[in-house]
Amino acid sequence: MPYKEKTAWLSLFAIVVTYGPYFTIILQGSFPKRPMPDFRQLALFGMFAVAQMVILGVGHLYNFLNAPEEARIPADERDRDIHRRSLTAAYSVLIFSMIVVGVVMPFYYQGWTIINSTLFAIIASEIVHYSVVIFCYRRQS
Amino acid sequence: MMEGTISNQIRFLRFRNREMSQAELGLRVGVTRQTIAAIEAGKYSPSLDTAFRIAQVFNVPLGEVFQWNSGANPGANPGPAS
Repeated sequence: MPYKEKTAWLSLFAIVVTYGPYFTIILQGSFPKRPMPDFRQLALFGMFAVAQMVILGVGHLYNFLNAPEEARIPADERDRDIHRRSLTAAYSVLIFSMIVVGVVMPFYYQGWTIINSTLFAIIASEIVHYSVVIFCYRRQS
Repeated sequence: MMEGTISNQIRFLRFRNREMSQAELGLRVGVTRQTIAAIEAGKYSPSLDTAFRIAQVFNVPLGEVFQWNSGANPGANPGPAS
């Protein structure tokens, strides 16, 4: 498996195991809502963001120690092509989500609903980004 | 638009050049082993620059490495040159 595919798997894994539970908690409504600024909500998000960074840090270190030569190989033209395709797909998701969150949602929602929707838009575009990278490497294109 | 596919003789040329590995070819061309594998399998079309580099490694003309198979004439693959 190419090193860059391993990195994409790691990033996708880190997103799913951290923001998956975060948005599950938010969507279930089990976290008590308070008036803005709700620093407990911010702390909850911060906790999951730190967890993601820890997973990424440990994962990158593990990958590097297992294949230090592969880690040092610079991206070639196919890597760059895959990266470009994945960014194009992710950008489409991000721009559509941002229109919904920034233009439509403020008429109906406010506070942390808007903030969490923005976070979800970013996470969704990141998921698309890494999924396209993995898909392209899997089918060798 | 004219339809067609690109085929290549990289596997054959590697075999003819003392079973050169994909990794070695990749190193000499400046791409990863996985990229050579993808090109060889016809899953990825390299840039013109990389295509010329591959031909240069095998010391053959570009047309001997890559062939254009027109959709109108699918049997046009000339195969490996002797």
